[in-house]
Amino acid sequence: MCPVDLTTHMAGITLRNPVLTCSGTYGFGEEYAAYCPVEALGGITLKGLTPEPRLGNAVPRLAETSAGLLNAVGLENPGLEEFLKSYLPKVRKLPTAVIANISGFSLEDYVQMARALQRDSGLVALEVNISCPNVKHGGMHFGTDPKSAEEVIAAVRAETDLPIIAKLSPNVTDIVGMARAVQRGGADALSLINTLLGMRIDIDHQRPVLANTFGGLSGPAIRPVAVRMVWQVSQAVDLPIIGMGGITTWQDAVEFLLAGATAVSIGTGNFINPQAPLEILQGIQDYCNKRGMVSVRELVGLAHNA
Amino acid sequence: MLTEGQVVINERFGDEEQGLWRLVLKGPIAKTAQPGQFVAIQVQDSSISSFDPLLRRPISLAEISPDRDEITLLYRVAGRGTEILARARCGEQLSLMGPLGQGFSLPEEGELWLIAGGIGIFPLYALAQSVLARGLTVRLFWGGENQSFLASAGLFLWQALGIPLQLSTLDGSLGQKGLVTEQVQERLLQLFGQTKQEQPLSGGQISVATCGPAKMMQAVTKLGIEFQVPVEVSLEERMGCAVGACLGCVCTLIDEAGTLIHKKVCLDGPVFRGEEVVWDVSC
Repeated sequence: MCPVDLTTHMAGITLRNPVLTCSGTYGFGEEYAAYCPVEALGGITLKGLTPEPRLGNAVPRLAETSAGLLNAVGLENPGLEEFLKSYLPKVRKLPTAVIANISGFSLEDYVQMARALQRDSGLVALEVNISCPNVKHGGMHFGTDPKSAEEVIAAVRAETDLPIIAKLSPNVTDIVGMARAVQRGGADALSLINTLLGMRIDIDHQRPVLANTFGGLSGPAIRPVAVRMVWQVSQAVDLPIIGMGGITTWQDAVEFLLAGATAVSIGTGNFINPQAPLEILQGIQDYCNKRGMVSVRELVGLAHNA
Repeated sequence: MLTEGQVVINERFGDEEQGLWRLVLKGPIAKTAQPGQFVAIQVQDSSISSFDPLLRRPISLAEISPDRDEITLLYRVAGRGTEILARARCGEQLSLMGPLGQGFSLPEEGELWLIAGGIGIFPLYALAQSVLARGLTVRLFWGGENQSFLASAGLFLWQALGIPLQLSTLDGSLGQKGLVTEQVQERLLQLFGQTKQEQPLSGGQISVATCGPAKMMQAVTKLGIEFQVPVEVSLEERMGCAVGACLGCVCTLIDEAGTLIHKKVCLDGPVFRGEEVVWDVSC
């Protein structure tokens, strides 16, 4: 069998392969070192940053559901200053592409972080989270109103020379409209999708399970929603898409590529199997090989031709 | 590490009404595991993969036998995940991450008091074995609902260790009626006198390891501070990744400067010094 070319090009970045890990599920890149070598990955996306340090929400922050996981971590992070001082020097040495993820409560928050994170930071891109469902007055406001979304992306665009990936919320009626808005704002790529807003109630104690009441649903349960959104957006908007949402097996990943994603990202799947990214990568290769494809790029959007 | 454990024994432990199970797994984890650490075990019917339940279950190590390459997990069937785990058959391979977390520190000298509430007793057994093997003195304080619970949760194992046991039950059906912390306090007072004396109290060579309900561990920590006895607590929280990446299982501590900080129960714990834990928090 010929080796399949896994190289993935997106937003001016070249990735070793199309398998990434999702923000908030992979810490700052060292946590999974004993399970999955980062050099095997196409890249990693760091935990979401805010300008100021945040302790996040109270526990319980997690609630399991059928084939899914609700989380309400609430953007706990060390803050921009501490990130630049203590995390970035280590992170930039990681032998893989590193994408930073930024969240904010105001336009100024995003601007401040974009200004501090540039190409010479050693990052390959900036993922702009306009879709966090777990903080009050949080990023999701920017992610559900197209005009705000365009503004925030434009503001970030003006401040950084890094490629910008807009991470969109699925909690909208018109995902294509949101994608068009961030494209107008100057986004170079899209991450689709963030978590779906949900909740669980503890029937013994007759109260919400999560301390935050609501949380973001991830895991296999949301995959069909994510695939549908990748499909719709890839048809209508000419931006590369990182597909994510419930990918746990190579078959899931192939589905996203066929729907139009240029790359895929593994989140909750890491919790189930910390070697999932490696197995998914192997599976994608085997799939291409069996079908005589010389490059993984041939898969992207293929199902639209059917 | 990500590894497999072969089921050697998976059987009911004690009375059926208590819903307790004992799982012995053969695999490499036993070689490096320390008391107080845990494994994240995949609970799936191995004949057909499923995503319900989705997450691994963190379970503490009740016994570590490096010579036989075996670990023992004691668990209570309390939901779909543990129900499926209870169906695992001999010879089956279960996926394990571990050993995970920071365990108990092993005292160099003196007397170790183990203070357990309910099934918090389980990780303390591995600790007792390890500490007794080093020739130290161990005393157990253990509280449970009733005689049936204590008998089901391994009382005979503790009796076989030949150490002093101070038992409490809520209904008085075995040991002293009341809370385990009452017995701990009585013992401390016996040994070190009233707490309101002029001279500072000293717990001498005693150290404490405790596991159980948060309220109990909080009370034990308070006694520890009062009598200057170092206390280690084993915390429990819902976990996602079990490696410190998802921040699902944080606890709140107070650092030396008096600042509230978060630590990850899965990575930085589950064992912490009792006095650094902030028990009543809303952030």
